[in-house]
Amino acid sequence: MKKDLLALGFIVLAIALILSGTKFQTVDEYYMTHIDDITPDSKTVTISIRCDTILDNWNDLVPELQSDEFVPQDGVILPETAYVLREGDTAFDITDRAVRYNKIQMEYQGANMNSYGSVYIQGIHYLYEFSCGPLSGWMYRVNGVFPNYGCSKYELKDGDIIEWVYTCDLGRDVGCIWMGGEWEEE
Amino acid sequence: MKLFATYHPSVLLVYFIGVIGITMFTMNPLLLLISFLGAFGFAIQLENKQIVFASFAFYIPMFFLISVTNPLFSHNGVTPLFFLNDQPVTLEAMLYGAAIGGMIVSVMYWCRCYNLIMTSDKFIYLFGKVIPKLSLVISMAIRFVPLFIKQIKHISTVQKTMGIYATKSIVDRVLSGFRIFSAMITWSLENAVDTAASMRARGYGLSGRTNFSLFRFTLRDGIMLSVILALLITALIGNNMGVLDYSFYPRMSRIQISPLAIITYITLLTLLFIPFVVEVEENRKWNYYISKI
Repeated sequence: MKKDLLALGFIVLAIALILSGTKFQTVDEYYMTHIDDITPDSKTVTISIRCDTILDNWNDLVPELQSDEFVPQDGVILPETAYVLREGDTAFDITDRAVRYNKIQMEYQGANMNSYGSVYIQGIHYLYEFSCGPLSGWMYRVNGVFPNYGCSKYELKDGDIIEWVYTCDLGRDVGCIWMGGEWEEE
Repeated sequence: MKLFATYHPSVLLVYFIGVIGITMFTMNPLLLLISFLGAFGFAIQLENKQIVFASFAFYIPMFFLISVTNPLFSHNGVTPLFFLNDQPVTLEAMLYGAAIGGMIVSVMYWCRCYNLIMTSDKFIYLFGKVIPKLSLVISMAIRFVPLFIKQIKHISTVQKTMGIYATKSIVDRVLSGFRIFSAMITWSLENAVDTAASMRARGYGLSGRTNFSLFRFTLRDGIMLSVILALLITALIGNNMGVLDYSFYPRMSRIQISPLAIITYITLLTLLFIPFVVEVEENRKWNYYISKI
């Protein structure tokens, strides 16, 4: 019986450890984000999320997503909006804050979960990677340029314009040169 | 001997491949429910009721474990219930997990029935001539788990009699379980080699070797096989028309209720309840005849 009690103690300890490392939030708590008010001297960046390319490749889209609910008819999930830039904010921080504030669903792979050491956005607004053909997924550009690294490594500066765009063709259909261009030259 | 087991092995094989395949490749909750009920009904006819209900002690925790695990890895779905480390736990993911759990439990029940009905002699009868080695390996693999469980019971009884770890403490019982398990691994390897050597000693797989078996393909088997095939083909046509389609993400779709869908569901219902109906009918006849004595 002593052994049983000891084992029980260890199990309780292990569960307590796991629970202490877990953050529980209700839906309202998660979406309740504080957005700083824009004042004349605050630094701002603008962010937009669009999925226009899906409208051109409608037949590749998985059937369960083929509705106005998941793909807006104008392709705009989040129109261009300005947000206050906090010290040390990366493109991911702003994106996370913006989607939470607007209650847009987003799923991402944490920076410690992949070998790139950066957050990977798997899906926004129920539109996931590979939802619209094998070459589809989310990409971001800042001031019109596609950075060739993850969004949680990109530190922003005042006045940056972040655009999240859904590609159905590995970036070639949204004007990304660094992958499409090289491939075509080869 | 149960009546369904007296059908020709080829009929039984087609039936089990059909139903297990249908259950494995569908995510349609209604179909999974029908499949589960069919398998469960059949199992109750085959085995002692108490044994079947006792098996719930294993299947129910497994079902819940799978249902709870899926939302931890899958965050898609329009109905978040709460957030865990900034990732949503959604209703859709939970129900998807439940569907997978239900599917696994149904497949396990079908396999239970398969093991009782489709004994290794039947399997070897079907494939022994065509693919001797592979059929022996498959038959041994299918037989592995039931044999393993049986032997575990033997060893643990012997150990208890010897007084090893025979206390009430759970820790001791778990430790004794590990000991038995490690013994079992050695035993099962040895047993497999023994079986193979023994089959070889009997000239298994050599050309010119004849077999004796009591299986005859009669008219009754022909009728049953054509009924099964007709039902399977109808169900497949229905499936290809998309009436069984069901998706959980991002929003759960509705189960279709068109005339075509209803026909497909009725076809599947008939197919999955064949063994149950066969056994119930046989029992009814049996009771009727005894009542006349």
